[in-house]
Amino acid sequence: MTGAAQLNGAVRGLLRLAAKSFADQPEIAHQLDEQLRRLDQPLRVAIAGKVKAGKSTLLNALVGEQVAATDSAECTRVVTWYQDGPAPAVVMYPQVGAPRPLPVQRHDGALVIDMQATAAEEVERLLVDWPSQSLREMTLIDTPGIASTSAQATHRTVTFLTPADEAVTEADAVVYLMRHLHATDAQFLESFRDQAVSQASSANTVAVLSRADEVGGGRVDAMSSARMIANRYRTEPALRGLCQTVVPVSGLLALTGRTLRRAEFAALTELARLPRAESDAALLSVDRFTSSGTAEPSRLSARAADDIVSAQTRRRLLDRLGLFGIRLSVTLIRQGTDSPAALAGELLRRSGVYELTEVLRTLFTSRRDLLKARSALLLVENALTHKDLHDSARKALAAEIERIVAGAHELTELRLLSAIRSGEITLPDGQAAEAERLLGGSGVSTAVRLGVPADSEREALRHAGMHLLGQWQTRAESPLSGRANAYVCRAVARSCEGMLVALSATETHSDAGSPAKQS
Amino acid sequence: MPTSKPVAAVDLALQTIAPYDRSDLRTRLQHARSRLLDGRVRVLIVGEFKQGKSLLVNGLVSAPVCPVYDDVATLVPTVVHAAATARATLVRLPAEDGGTANDSDGELPAMERVEIPIAELAGHICEAGNPGNAQRWHHAEIGIPRVVLAGGLELVDTPGVGGLNSVHGAATMAALPSADAVLLVSDASAEYSSTELEFLRQAKSVCPNVACVLTKTDVYPDWRRIAELDRHHLRTAGVDAELLAVSSTLRIASIESKDADLDSESGFPALIAYLRERVVGQADQLARRSTAHDILAVIEQLAVTLRSEHAAHADPESAQTVIAELTQAQQRSAALKERSARWQHTLNDGVADLNADIDYDLRDRMREISREAEEEVDNGGDPHKIWDQLSSWAEQEAASAVATNYLWTTQRARWLADQVAEHFSTEGTEVLPKLRTETGDALEYVREMQLREGEKFGTSQKALSGLRGSYVGVLMFGMLGTVVGLPLINPFSLGAGLLLGGKGLADDRRRILARRQSEAKAAIRRYLDDVIFQVSKESRDMLRRVQRDLRDHFTSRAEELNRSLQASLASAQRSVNVSATERKRRLAEIPGELDKLEKLQRKVRTLVSDGDISNVVPDLSPEHAPSDSPASQSPITALS
Repeated sequence: MTGAAQLNGAVRGLLRLAAKSFADQPEIAHQLDEQLRRLDQPLRVAIAGKVKAGKSTLLNALVGEQVAATDSAECTRVVTWYQDGPAPAVVMYPQVGAPRPLPVQRHDGALVIDMQATAAEEVERLLVDWPSQSLREMTLIDTPGIASTSAQATHRTVTFLTPADEAVTEADAVVYLMRHLHATDAQFLESFRDQAVSQASSANTVAVLSRADEVGGGRVDAMSSARMIANRYRTEPALRGLCQTVVPVSGLLALTGRTLRRAEFAALTELARLPRAESDAALLSVDRFTSSGTAEPSRLSARAADDIVSAQTRRRLLDRLGLFGIRLSVTLIRQGTDSPAALAGELLRRSGVYELTEVLRTLFTSRRDLLKARSALLLVENALTHKDLHDSARKALAAEIERIVAGAHELTELRLLSAIRSGEITLPDGQAAEAERLLGGSGVSTAVRLGVPADSEREALRHAGMHLLGQWQTRAESPLSGRANAYVCRAVARSCEGMLVALSATETHSDAGSPAKQS
Repeated sequence: MPTSKPVAAVDLALQTIAPYDRSDLRTRLQHARSRLLDGRVRVLIVGEFKQGKSLLVNGLVSAPVCPVYDDVATLVPTVVHAAATARATLVRLPAEDGGTANDSDGELPAMERVEIPIAELAGHICEAGNPGNAQRWHHAEIGIPRVVLAGGLELVDTPGVGGLNSVHGAATMAALPSADAVLLVSDASAEYSSTELEFLRQAKSVCPNVACVLTKTDVYPDWRRIAELDRHHLRTAGVDAELLAVSSTLRIASIESKDADLDSESGFPALIAYLRERVVGQADQLARRSTAHDILAVIEQLAVTLRSEHAAHADPESAQTVIAELTQAQQRSAALKERSARWQHTLNDGVADLNADIDYDLRDRMREISREAEEEVDNGGDPHKIWDQLSSWAEQEAASAVATNYLWTTQRARWLADQVAEHFSTEGTEVLPKLRTETGDALEYVREMQLREGEKFGTSQKALSGLRGSYVGVLMFGMLGTVVGLPLINPFSLGAGLLLGGKGLADDRRRILARRQSEAKAAIRRYLDDVIFQVSKESRDMLRRVQRDLRDHFTSRAEELNRSLQASLASAQRSVNVSATERKRRLAEIPGELDKLEKLQRKVRTLVSDGDISNVVPDLSPEHAPSDSPASQSPITALS
């Protein structure tokens, strides 16, 4: 939208003005400079969650390669950035001293970062350059788990995402992973809400029900069970105010789906050829599946499996797919999935990663400029409290912020969205859902906002827009609406107007709006 | 039945002491007998939610007694114990009749019990059928005929809702001291979190047996590494607890297919062995030990009397010195009975101190919560909007504060009992009575935190207060205007009306906000006051029970001692006056009687060593055996 571009320009001006005012404060000036550069960079999405929630696995799945180390033990101890770059490179930023490049080592296709005996406590962050299509749209940030047994690792994440005062969080958006909705999760999400300028709390957070394949002990219907749980969470009032939506994802399945090898498919096909009773017995537990079979004569099933697929291969399969993944793959192959590509596609489809990328695209990347501008405004507003700032400069900056915030309808939309979601503003039944949608709660494309099919004609869009505009204008003027409600209704009407204007502006060009692309 | 042997021993002892007219000793043995008969061994199964606690219980009893779901969690604690036929009972506190359900002697109120078919249980104890426990069930009891549960084993499946640090978690904490063992359940997907380790540390401080169970080993390939890491965490945290890896899924599959290999793979046999040997075994050992102690003490007292009589008869010349010694000892033991005895002072002072300390501790904790809540209200604008969050936060904080306070009370009460026991025996051989430190759920009686709807500030109110302001404004300035010849309604008076109307509106809004804030604060303070009131009553009752139990216990000990010494004294005095033939007869009789007692003594000792697995009974070693020590010495040293 053009509004976002205007906003971007205004924020740029504000940052320059602020940098000038802070010329004698090199530290803050540097921060502001950095922020200015950030406006042109891809969106920064942090992946956060409790320890062992599967953050690194999900990151790998999103990138499509083993770039973040994963382990069954607590593993990520340093905040690590992954950004798109021409060639793989790793740079370590210590707490004190100059950044140091680290050697890029690959082991079995996975990136291995050797911190060269530097303790995790002394490292501020790692920056990994990695050529990848997925990283071009957004920079991903892997964080150590919260509620970890090592208090420092928890502390590092919490300070990174919710810095005490001075600095503003470096992430523009957060994907929060949780295995179940836990008290600690809610607490953390709450602390990530920020105050001041845009007051949009839930706008930049998406929750992921991670390791979804392990629900109910990895039964074949685990993913659909996970989907139901996610549906329930989505309507949970406690969570609604804290994040945009909840998506169930199995990171492991997605990663393997993106990197499935021919040999793995062959091994799975062999397993699928076993009689059902035998394969079921072998897949009863991980120990049964991996045991060499020769140790105990009673394990006939395991021995049968051993004849065709070696124990080593089976162990690798288990690491790659998990018990659920193997069960699912064997079932799929039996049902007629006959090529590696087809199996990979099916795994990806079932892993829920498509839903997640779609959600990230509609909620985050299409709002890139807006979220970036929001981060910048927060930074400047925080800088205002600095004691060495001249009063005149402070007033000028404050006025500029106010002007931008008042002028940017997108920021208002974000703020109202979270106000409605958190229950700060209560609209009559039925109106709330529509208002959320029109304000861009489920995506910013015109068709999604208006709630019409994505391939609708421009005329249909305009018709729907006019109709809704009229409705919300009436509501805004109704004497029965309270002040806050009237304000919301006016804002929604304004969103409708914006869409109608955009529609007629593009009329002269080729096609209307930006209906949702393929999923 | 593991308790049958000790019971037989007690019966034998009762028979043996029948000829001696000592009702006090008989009562003591009868108490010991009834204690043996209703011995229950409680095992708490705790953990974060969705770790497989209910499935673990099902695996242990090989039957789907506890409902298991992918999503929702158990909400009500479920007690599974042995019974002749399978049945389920729901238990709740009687319908609310204020906080005075406890009668004055501090006994817990009677519960309302409802029997239901086992299949319907899920509808009552899970989040799905009973959201937020609206039916107010206190706990559910499931009886099921199972060998595993023999020996009085009781498995308690605790609610996982909300995790370890929530209101439910606090309730679990409070149940810790009454448990014989705690199993912390955690699945093999991840190592221990800091909450779990903290819980283990606290559990270890109040509960004799703490074990960790690693579940779902069938799904996670790396469960062995996780187990290793967990053991490492336990070592670093200084928690000495065993870690057992199990898979409930395999166990259930093995029951279906009757496959013994699968069963041993599931790890359940090891867990059951642990429960049987360590938990039930230790409880049994404890029961044997205290029974043996009781019987030995009774024998000892009878033997002392017999021996002093024997000594007096055998050497009439020394009878006088024996009498003198005995008189002295008897005087000292009589002093023990007095209210002014030192142990009485220790006990009374101790309980008074304890009362003051825990009351202070509780108040201090509540004050802190109240302070934080008030700060929150002051900063938070209209409290009506954040009330749900704020009140649930306050409830949770209060619950966990009460739990901590209660654990501390229990620890201090146990310590006090030890202090008092020191007056009685220097070697620390005194077996203390089991302290009844269980309390009712005090928070059950606390009235819910409620914020009054208060004054509405809707459109009509706003219009009214705006109108009131503007009316005054128009009138005031209009009247002023009439002085200079303007009409009552003129532009100035209308302007003033508008201004004052706006001001009135703003003032009213401010006033209502301030009132709501102060109401919210008052509601929280009222709630915390209620908590303090109920909890301090509970803990005072508990302390009173503890005090009474300890006093009764030690008074009866003192009385027994006194009576034994009196009997010895009397028989020694008699021996001075009796005829030679009588003396000869007694001299011939007494060794026989002593022999009988010694036989019983030997038997009782085997009772202890039989069941002795971990050699936990160092204090009944032979050097304390009365046969080795001079006749009247051991009761006397016990007094010093």
